[in-house]
This record gives sequence, structure tokens and C-alpha cells, in this order.
Amino acid sequence: MKKYFLIFALAIFAFAANAQDFDTDPTLKVDNNEKDVHFTIGARMMADAAYYNTDFTPLQSGAAITDARIRTSMRYKDWYFYADFGFGKGKFAQKNIFLQYTKTTENGDAHSIKLGYYNDPAGSMARNTSLGSYHFISRPGSSNALGEGRELGISYKYNSDRFMAYQGIFTENAYNKIESGFNGITVAGRYLVRPIIDENQTLHIGVNGRFAHMGGGVVTNNVLKKTLYLGQPLETYVDEDDQFVSCELPWIDNVIDLGAEVLYHNNRFFVRGEYMYKHTTKKRDSNTLWEASNNNIDTWGSYDWWLAANPLRSDNFHGGYVEAGFLIFGSPYKYNRSEGLLGGLNGKALEIVARYNYTSLNDVNEGEYFAVGRNQYYPNGYMEDWPYASSSVGGGKVNSYTIGMNYSFNKYVQLMLDYTYHRLQKDFLPYDKNVHMGQARVQFTF
Amino acid sequence: MFKKIIRLGVAGLLLASLATSCSDEQQFTNENTDARRIEVSQLSADMAKVRDYVPLYAVAAHRGSIFWTPEETEASWRWAREMGADYLESDMQATKDGIVLANHDENVKRTTNIQSFFSDYVPTEVRKAFYRSFKNSDGTQHFSEADIEAQYQRDVNDFRTYYTMSYYYAELLMLDSGEWFNLDNSTKEQARPKYKATQLGRVNNTKDGLIYSNGLYVSAIQDQIAFAEGKKLKRDANGVRILPYKIKDKYKNMTLEEIYNSEKKTVKCDDPSVSYSYAAKYMDFVEYDFANAYVNDEQDTGNRPGIYIEFKESWLNPKDMEVRVYNVLHECGWNIVTNPSSDTQFYKGGKVNVGNTNGKVILQTFSFDALHRAYDVFKGQVPMCFLLWISDPPYATDIAYDTPTGYADFIRYGQEYGAHIIGPAISGAPNNYPEMNQPWQAYMIRKSGMINHPYSFDSYAQMSKYMGYYTDYYGQGNTTMFDDVLQLTIPATAYTNFTGTKSVPVYMDGFFTNRSEISLRYMIENGFRCNANLPNPFHPGQKFDNSQAPSVVPDVEATLVRLGY
Repeated sequence: MKKYFLIFALAIFAFAANAQDFDTDPTLKVDNNEKDVHFTIGARMMADAAYYNTDFTPLQSGAAITDARIRTSMRYKDWYFYADFGFGKGKFAQKNIFLQYTKTTENGDAHSIKLGYYNDPAGSMARNTSLGSYHFISRPGSSNALGEGRELGISYKYNSDRFMAYQGIFTENAYNKIESGFNGITVAGRYLVRPIIDENQTLHIGVNGRFAHMGGGVVTNNVLKKTLYLGQPLETYVDEDDQFVSCELPWIDNVIDLGAEVLYHNNRFFVRGEYMYKHTTKKRDSNTLWEASNNNIDTWGSYDWWLAANPLRSDNFHGGYVEAGFLIFGSPYKYNRSEGLLGGLNGKALEIVARYNYTSLNDVNEGEYFAVGRNQYYPNGYMEDWPYASSSVGGGKVNSYTIGMNYSFNKYVQLMLDYTYHRLQKDFLPYDKNVHMGQARVQFTF
Repeated sequence: MFKKIIRLGVAGLLLASLATSCSDEQQFTNENTDARRIEVSQLSADMAKVRDYVPLYAVAAHRGSIFWTPEETEASWRWAREMGADYLESDMQATKDGIVLANHDENVKRTTNIQSFFSDYVPTEVRKAFYRSFKNSDGTQHFSEADIEAQYQRDVNDFRTYYTMSYYYAELLMLDSGEWFNLDNSTKEQARPKYKATQLGRVNNTKDGLIYSNGLYVSAIQDQIAFAEGKKLKRDANGVRILPYKIKDKYKNMTLEEIYNSEKKTVKCDDPSVSYSYAAKYMDFVEYDFANAYVNDEQDTGNRPGIYIEFKESWLNPKDMEVRVYNVLHECGWNIVTNPSSDTQFYKGGKVNVGNTNGKVILQTFSFDALHRAYDVFKGQVPMCFLLWISDPPYATDIAYDTPTGYADFIRYGQEYGAHIIGPAISGAPNNYPEMNQPWQAYMIRKSGMINHPYSFDSYAQMSKYMGYYTDYYGQGNTTMFDDVLQLTIPATAYTNFTGTKSVPVYMDGFFTNRSEISLRYMIENGFRCNANLPNPFHPGQKFDNSQAPSVVPDVEATLVRLGY
């Protein structure tokens, strides 16, 4: 009993101190088979070095502890509790923390209910894959820009060899830390079919969808303004500057994400890819804002003019990636059926990988003029003193090409090397077209 | 296992050394470096030809003078002309009757006695008296009382307190534009009793309707041109300006209501395909007799400066402002498109002659709207200065990102819409404007082939700074990283305070000054004026000759006394 108390205390300490989503099997386990209680504790560290070469706007080359985690779990019969905390880059962050109940039927089908803070099922295949098991130093940029991460909620998952249906309902913010409004609501689901699944290979094809009604924002002139920020660093963690591909979307109301994914692997080869589409709708209390604008000698004159001068429209963004890997030697690639994801390297192994990623956060109205000196779009095609507001979004576009090599010394230690070339296009950064980056990572996981 | 750790360590060291040997220039954004890295668009050959209409090292008397005289008045323009400034600078706004006048602020509160003279409402008695003052040939009143009353109500609806757009020019001539200056400077040497009117405007229903004041007036652009031509206002024995008005022929058979509802459109005088409409509230049915409004100034000593006129923010003015100015310049013989000059000498016989050359008019604006419309009207054929300002949060016409990329964007946009000159703000007391003419900014302007006219100078220290001497204050030969483009070698003249030659980086090609006397003296003493062998940065190898410019800067006080102030 003392032993169990000690492990539990360690787990509590882990919560209090600091520790993500690991999908590797932890090494440190304490099992009480008599009572069917199983504790685990584990950790992870990633140290990255990166060299960047940009055309104009600099990125800061260097090295950083980009991730450090402590994880713990407890399983009791069909109940499973998991928590991990991160303190990479010197910042503490709560990562996953959830409770899951799973009932497996006689034919092996599993029904799970999961409650807590964890990855959105429709957040993208890439975002649902642990970085520790990823075959690249960073997930593809499109998944960071358009995918979703962890959310607080409850989900139900049905899993069989051939099918997976994983859906849930979530809130916008894990801590209800919103200035005004309410904590939003999200429904999301990921659905896979596996035409091929056996010991040596898997083919899964999937779709996902997500609807989020944004609830939280700030109040100005008695109007609740909700804003969505989208962005991605350039597939690196040493300098996570996202100014090259990012945008802010004021007056957000609903967000609709649709995605499709394919994954195939055999023992020595994998290929996977996703397409992500994001549609945002806008809403505002225009009448109140119009009335507030009248508290000035210079007004738009009429509500209709004000509306014409301040147009609001929905936005559409999209992106996707294709990744492939070839195992030169080492344990064969493994597929995690319960999560519908490809696993990482396991034991001594050497692989080469390649990826193409495309992200677009541009949604620009045709014929508009963009003034770099003002970071502003002008609807009439030239600069004006008091122009109608533009509804264009110039978040930027990027095509990224990565080749890499991963060497796993053993189950715990892995060396990763990536070279990435980014081709950028952002109106506000006209001199930033090409970015070259070489990155290396040493990763330790237990 | 040990070997693996060694291998890992070696790999780590290699990576670390790679990371730490990154090129230094990638580590931070450096404006000085970036200014050289980015593309700066070049002024076209046609535009460069118009640019060369403007004399190098031109001294533009900002609002005439804001230090010694009430700004943008007869006193300030005459003084600036007599001091030897190359340009008389002003800000253009329109009156209700469409007269283009010179006024800096968005209204006339600060620079006239309007707050005490008119209420903050439509000047009821004066306005109606003005309408009644129009007579038929038989002496009877032209507009009916009912028509006047109805128009008055429309005027009330269109009224914007103290804005020039709300007043007829004749009404503004009833004000005193000089007293405020004495009140502001009551304890300083600038105040002068003669700046104050001894008689304010009044209504005389039995005779002329409106009687003007007898002091300094809000100036029309025609006035400014007349002062540049060596004239002064025609006044009666009481010092009251003589400027009769009548109904324009086009409107003489219309009621006020018909005038209000008539087509409001101004057509470019030499190209009917270019026209702009304007709002109904502008009642430009009044014709002022500017042709007979001036007399030769007996104190004129022969300087003929040009004018440097600013299109203000677009919302202050009617949409036809640019074409209206084009036409006024034409009527005054100052439109070089319709009436080009063959005289190319900026200085003759020790006098300023800019006003007789194709450089006689420089346009300027901060406004994107005005720049756009001016390009449509003037077609880039008259020198245009694109003024730059920055504030936080940025105003509608500000450059918001004062970076080399943002600066290059504004330079390119200016060129695209007919600008030959960039006018950046400069720092320094007493205005303490934001600094927009750092060496890298001056470098970018020079690289573009555009002229650099910073604003506004108030001190010897500022002159010294932007003429480059501050980098070499002790004659130690200090350099800046833009010397290859900005460094000029100035030969001494009979008037310089140095002998031989002096090489300095020069961060401007002309400027706006509030202290013409300081600026002119500085330019002469440092060889930028009255010099036959000045290097021409726009035409390497060629010389710029301003040796015929006035070599003596008159005494400020004596000049003011001589001019009758």
C-alpha cells in the first residue's frame, strides 16, 4: 500500500510541478495485478538546434529546449486517468488531463467515453499525433494554422478493426478565461474506415468535421467583439515567429472545419496526408456600433452607408500536406488502431522522410490595393483618406518542402535532422520569399 | 553505448557550432542595412524633367512666417518675399463660395477673431446682409427676402462652426487675422501693433452690404500669388481692402434656391474631359474682382518667389478642389501646363526669380485622395511633394510602418501618383515632430531620384544637423554609412565661413522653414547658396549654379518696419 501511495504522490507532484500526449509505452510502471491497478510515470525532453536563412526578416537561429514533459497515468479496470505537463522553454503549461472509460466487447470492438482536456478529434491527424512519435521535427504548418489542439470536453469513440467513429462536445477555453461572453461550444468528429488492416500494413481513409460557436470576446461600445487568431510558425520551435503566416479575424461567430485524411503504411514505408478547410462566419451588433459612431461630427450619414463602409463577410482558408517515410533499418512501422494514428520509431532504427505542406491564410478581394506602409487593403484599388473598410485577409501563403533523416539509438534516444525550404507570399512582407532552415533534434523519452 | 554517446555529443557540438556561426546580419532588423537591401523605385525620365523645375536647396517660407508675423497673411508673405525665400508656402481650403484660401488649421479659430466676432452659429445678420448686398442694375435687391430666408435655413443645415467651408469669403474678410498673433506673443518681441486691425468688419445695409476689416486678412490664393509677384493688397484710405464682388454671369438669372440645386461641377479649363462635382452646400456664385485687387508694392525689392501650396485633408474641401486650383492658377497665369515659362534662371542679379520659371508652383499634400485627384488633374506636370507623417495610432493619411519597406512603399506610391518630392517630418524643438528624415530615409529618397524637402526648420541646430555637419562637428572627418550617396563636396564662396572645400553628407535638397532669416543665412555661410559650383546630386558631374541668389539676408526687424508693420 505504501508503494501505491508513493506513486500516487509522485503523480500529484507531477501535476503540481509541471509534464503531453505520449503514445509510447512508459517505462516506469507499477502494477498491482491483484487489484488490477496500474500506475505509470514518464518524461520527455526535446532539444533543438536550428539555423535559418531568410531573405529579409530575420529568424533567430540558435538552440532551445523546445519541450520537456512529465506524464503520469493510472488504470483501474476499465478506467484510465492520464495527465501530462510541459515546461519547455521555461514555461509551465498544462497539457492533457483526462479520464477515460473503455468497454471492450467480446469481438474486440471498443466503446470509450473520455472526459477532460485533450486533443479535439477533428483537430487534424497531425495534431492528434504526439510530437514524440512524429517523424519530423515539427508537425506540418497547415495543421498548426488550421488544425485545432486541446479542448475541454467529453467524447465518445467507437473503434473496431474496420471503423472508427470519434466525436465529442467541447468548450472554447479550458479555464473559462474569457473577458466577456460565454465559453463557446464546439462539436467535432473524426471518422475512419480501414480497407486494409493487418499485422504488416494499414490503409485508413478518413474525414473529420468540426463546428465551433465562438463565445468569448471583449466588449467595446457595448458590443461583444470576438476575435479568432490563426497562425503557424515555419515548422520550427527554436524561433516560433508566426508573422509570415498568420491573421486575426475580428467579429468571428462560427468556425466550420472540414478535413480529409489518408494514411498507408507497411513495414518499411508510410505515406499520409491531409486536406484542411476552414470556413469562418462573422457577426456583430452593427446597429449599436453605428449609433456609437454618431457621437461625432463626422458620421457616415446613414446606417446603410455605415454598413457599406464596414462590410463583414465570411472567410475561407485551406491547407494540406503529404508526408512519406522509408525505413532503412529498424523495427517496422506500427499503427495505433485505438487512436487511428501512425506510431513513432521504436528501438534502433534509421529512416528518411519527406514532406510537402501548403497553407493559405489569404482571402483577398480581387482588385484591392495593398499598402505595405499602412498594412492595409484599399477596396477601390488605390489609397484613400477614409476608405471603406476592406474585408480582405492577407495572412500569407506558404509552400514548404522538407527532407529529413531520423536515427533512433534505442527505445529512448532519437536524433532527427530536417532541412526545410519555405516559399512565402505575404503582402505585408514583400521581401520575404525564401526561407531555408536546417534543424536538428535530440529527443529523449521514457 | 559509450560510442553512441560520443557520437551524439559530436553531432550536438557540430550543430551548436553551426547555430552560433549564423551570419550576424540575420540576427535583427537593422534599418540602415535594410534600406540598402530593398528595391527603391526610380523616378521616370519624364518625372525627373519636372523635378528639375525645382531649384536645389530651395528655401520654402513655411506659412510665410509663423515666428515673426501672423501666418499666411499679407504680412507673412511680403516679409518672406523680402527676406529672399524661394517659395511662399501655404495650406489650401475652400470657402462656401469656393474661394481657395490659405489656412493651416482645420478651422479659423486660432488664426482669426472669429470666436468673438461671430457666434458659433451661422452669422445670421451678416449672412442675410450678404445676400441682400447683391443688386440689380436698377439698384434693387437681387434675391427676394423669401429666397434669402429659405437659403439661410439651408445654410443652417450645412453649417460647420468655424470651418472655412461654412463662410463666404466676404464674411471672412470682416475678421482680423492679426490680433491673435499679438495676444499669443504679448510678451515677446514678435508682437506688433500694426498687425491688429483698427476697424473690424461691419454691415452697412444702405451701401455696400458687408464692410471688411482693415487689418490682416485670411488670404486667398490669388493674394498669395500677387504677393509673390511683388504686389500688395489694394486698400482704401481707411486701410480697408478693396475687393468688390458680384454674381457670376452663369448664375445671374437664378434664385439662391436654383443656385443651390444647380449642377455643381468644375471642368478643367483646358480639358473638358476632366471634371469634378462638389457638394450643394458650396454656393460658388460669387465673383470677386481679384483682377483689380492689388497694387504694386512700393517696398518690393525684386524678389520673385514661387508658391508651395498644400492640398489639405480631403474632407475639409470640395471634391473639385484640385481642378479648382488648376483653374485659378491658369487664371493667374501661374499654371505652367497652360502657360509654360521659357525662363530657366532661378536667380537673377542677386534676386530670387523662381516665380518666373516653371518651378513657380509646387503642390504638396499628405492626403491620398488629394494626391490621386491632383494626379488626374495635373498629370504629374507640376512638381508635387508627398508629405509624410507618423503617429500612434496612425491617422488616416499617415505612414503607419516607418520601416525601410514601408518608406519604399510610400515613395513608390508617391511616384505612381505624380509626386516628385518627398516631404518628411524632422525632429527638434520647438515642434518636436517625429523624426522621418534619418540618414537611411534621406538615402532612400535620394536613391529614388526624388527631391527631399523635410519640414519644418526652426533653428540653426536643425540646419546643421540635416546639412550633415553634426556628423562632423569637430571637423574629424566622421562618416555615415550613406556617405557614398549623400556626401557632397561644397566649394567655398566669397560668403562662406570656410575656405577651400568641405565634404558633408546632406540629408535634404531643400526644406520648409519657420525661420527664413536663420535658414538663408546658414545656407549662404555654408556654401549652399550663392555658389556657382554646387554639385548636383541628380546629375552627377554637373554643377548647380545659384550664385545669383541674394547674398545678404536682410535684418528681420528692419524689414518688418520697412513693410509698414
